[in-house]
Amino acid sequence: MSATAQISIADDTQALVHRCAGGDQAAFRLLYDRWGSRLYGIALRITRQAVLAADATQEAFVQIWQQAHRFDPDRGSAEAWLIGIVRYRALDIVRRQAREVPGYEPADRADDAPDALTRLVSTAEGAALHRCMDQLEEDRRRLVVMAFVDGLSHSELAQRLNVPLGTVKSWIRRSLMSLRECLAS
Amino acid sequence: MSDGHDHDLLAAEYVLGALEGDERREAERRLASDPVFARSVAAWQQRLTPLASYAPPTSPPDDLWQRIEARIAPAAAADILPLRRRIRFWQATTAGALAIAASLAAFIVLRQPTPARIAVLSPLAGGAPVLMAEAETGGRLLVRPTTAIAVPTDKDLELWALPQGETRPRSLGVLPPSGRQLTAQLTPNTQLLVSLEPKGGSPTGQPTGPVLYGGWLTAVELPRG
Repeated sequence: MSATAQISIADDTQALVHRCAGGDQAAFRLLYDRWGSRLYGIALRITRQAVLAADATQEAFVQIWQQAHRFDPDRGSAEAWLIGIVRYRALDIVRRQAREVPGYEPADRADDAPDALTRLVSTAEGAALHRCMDQLEEDRRRLVVMAFVDGLSHSELAQRLNVPLGTVKSWIRRSLMSLRECLAS
Repeated sequence: MSDGHDHDLLAAEYVLGALEGDERREAERRLASDPVFARSVAAWQQRLTPLASYAPPTSPPDDLWQRIEARIAPAAAADILPLRRRIRFWQATTAGALAIAASLAAFIVLRQPTPARIAVLSPLAGGAPVLMAEAETGGRLLVRPTTAIAVPTDKDLELWALPQGETRPRSLGVLPPSGRQLTAQLTPNTQLLVSLEPKGGSPTGQPTGPVLYGGWLTAVELPRG
């Protein structure tokens, strides 16, 4: 293995984003090849419909291309930036239209799926988050995952768990406070 | 929301994606205007992003790259010449948008693929048309100026689609003053809008500057015989 093979995917992604900022379309294509299925998978989990997920992923890549110059590595990783963009585009779509599948229930205990867990703990940040998530009560942990991964809003969570909206909000805030504290330690 | 509500927690809830309605709009507004809040959002994004790995990677549709490429690529050279002719034709016809649309329909019947719908975008405050848009059945949308458009160097124009009955337009991206070709699936009865935004487009996903031009996409009735 040559030394160049040691460059981590994270550094590589950042370099590709910087090249996109300079108008390098070949770098943009590489970024799509590397991130297309990851971002589409995230959008699909939130929108639950292939057509909407494709729209969200398309909008996300267009935004990545147009706003690559705004990416600031001092504020976070390129990975978090890319994932943030596709999540907000997917959330825009599902918040704009009423959910078309009433009563849809995300797969139960998805956070316990072994391959999901393997992916989560494969990075140092993921492992730290997993450790802190483990400190939450199981119900609260699922609430956080359903909001972040499935894109459920406060009121959708309240409806799904059959608890008052205020209770959901307060559980989520307490969970977030606990995560913030745990991750800082 | 209580008075003592922690701003960092609002950022966390925003990143988590659980906010809706007014709370979400408030977070978006602050994200665009408050650098401290924006830093909180970035920090939470960094903290919570590993959770995204719960969503398994999935192969996107085969045509997704083509759709993206069509949105970012400059208009194909082949379109430029006929387009100039169309614009000249357009500019020569000043008897009002309806007359123009009717004449345009007679003209564009000659080319393939035929535009399914056209829109004439005029200043909302009133005045002569500034942009013309042609939506083809395949989803291709051509937007071209009919007159020179001056944009301040620190600003960009951004194109939006607003289907009838909806209140939040969907961004179709930054619109260079020279026009653009893109791919967009637009429902019938969609209004196209152009707003003035910071360089690179709206940071919030919704128009932040004044909406300058607008027009409805209208089905083109091709002459018979």
